[in-house]
Amino acid sequence: MNSKKPLLTAAAGLALLGTAGCGSTGTAQDAASDEAAGASTPAASSGTASSGAPATGGQYQNGEYTATGSYIPPSNTKEEVTVSLTLSDGVVTDVEVSTSGNHPTSKRYQAEFTGGVQQEVVGKPLDEVKVDKIASSSLTSSGFNKALDEIKSEAAR
Amino acid sequence: MESWSFEAIGTQWEISAEAPLDAETRAAVTGLVSEYDAALSRFRSDSILSGLSHGGGTVSLPRYTAELFSLFDSLDRLTGGRMNPLVGGSLELLGYGPGYRLTPQGPAAGAPPWPEAVRWESGARDDVRLSLDRPGTLDVGAAGKGQLVDLVWELVTGRGYASVVVDAGSDMRHCGPGLRVGLEHPFDPNQAIGVVHLQDRALCASATNRRAWGNGLHHVLDASTGLPVRAVAATWVLARNAMTADGLATALFLTDPSSLAAEFQFDYVRMFSDGRAEYSPAMAGVLFS
Repeated sequence: MNSKKPLLTAAAGLALLGTAGCGSTGTAQDAASDEAAGASTPAASSGTASSGAPATGGQYQNGEYTATGSYIPPSNTKEEVTVSLTLSDGVVTDVEVSTSGNHPTSKRYQAEFTGGVQQEVVGKPLDEVKVDKIASSSLTSSGFNKALDEIKSEAAR
Repeated sequence: MESWSFEAIGTQWEISAEAPLDAETRAAVTGLVSEYDAALSRFRSDSILSGLSHGGGTVSLPRYTAELFSLFDSLDRLTGGRMNPLVGGSLELLGYGPGYRLTPQGPAAGAPPWPEAVRWESGARDDVRLSLDRPGTLDVGAAGKGQLVDLVWELVTGRGYASVVVDAGSDMRHCGPGLRVGLEHPFDPNQAIGVVHLQDRALCASATNRRAWGNGLHHVLDASTGLPVRAVAATWVLARNAMTADGLATALFLTDPSSLAAEFQFDYVRMFSDGRAEYSPAMAGVLFS
């Protein structure tokens, strides 16, 4: 099972290169690479082919390709994913993925999925937290905000 | 941003986009939501799935349910049978079923094994044929609402709308300029425990506090025992679509993130009833400290 992780990570990096915005309506029928596309926020990407380049008509030339994608995780520390792969007769024969690991926890990404543990969560009153929406189990943010408004106006009396 | 709100499948919906949705799009959304509910609701005795509750048998369902059942196949396997749509029968025993009796109807019971009891395949008439070898109650709620969010989001973006956000009771699918989303404290709805940045993917949450009906009974059950889970209090999952995020948010009550990471790409925060929280690497810095 663990051997699958680097592949998924590779797919995430590759998907960065081709992910469009709103229009790309990935459905669950798509391949695993699409599954990975949502893992990161596409910010910028650059690609270099050390030998050969994709030809037209869906054919790919043999060679070793390297591309780098960057994304901003919610920690707001820019991360880069570099993917190198070897193509032989249209088949990927080798894949290497490296991450910049700017944030300390990102370094562990490939080895271990639990990034961290906080011994005690800290709640902050919503008054002090500017958000666009609230993620709760089954209450809407609009209903939530209305309830909050009511509470606030009552408390202000 | 223009937004449109309505109530359906027992929750509040809010759809926002750069331009207001025209009447035709709204009608299409309403039609889609009704179709989904009529096919899959556990709370409607006239739904297609409810037809299985008396003697089992085979039903014909919309084509898109193949993705849903495929996800459930994976989650059942990855949780070792602890997450299983046949838990619907166990939920009803505890009182959470049509009529909302909310009093236990008998001793807790585990669900029949999903891979043994259920067969499904894409049918010849652009449908999905699902067979159940015994009477049973399928509850697809663990990922169904998320899938409906996706289907609505795809419908609206497919009609050319930009920056579309579909939010059904805080199961969200997003594209466009990023949003700051507060993670509601599971023990205090006036507080948030952190803020995530949501952009071009989906965010779903699950918690045991909302749909609880006393004496330790709530709606997240371990399918192998038929009893409510206790250690995890709330989960939040970011994934590429809402169906996946919704399903994984429930699965994280029943298994460890690492077992799910073998087959799914996602980020998560999960909080335990003792106040502890753990999170995936990209979520570092999301929780208040």
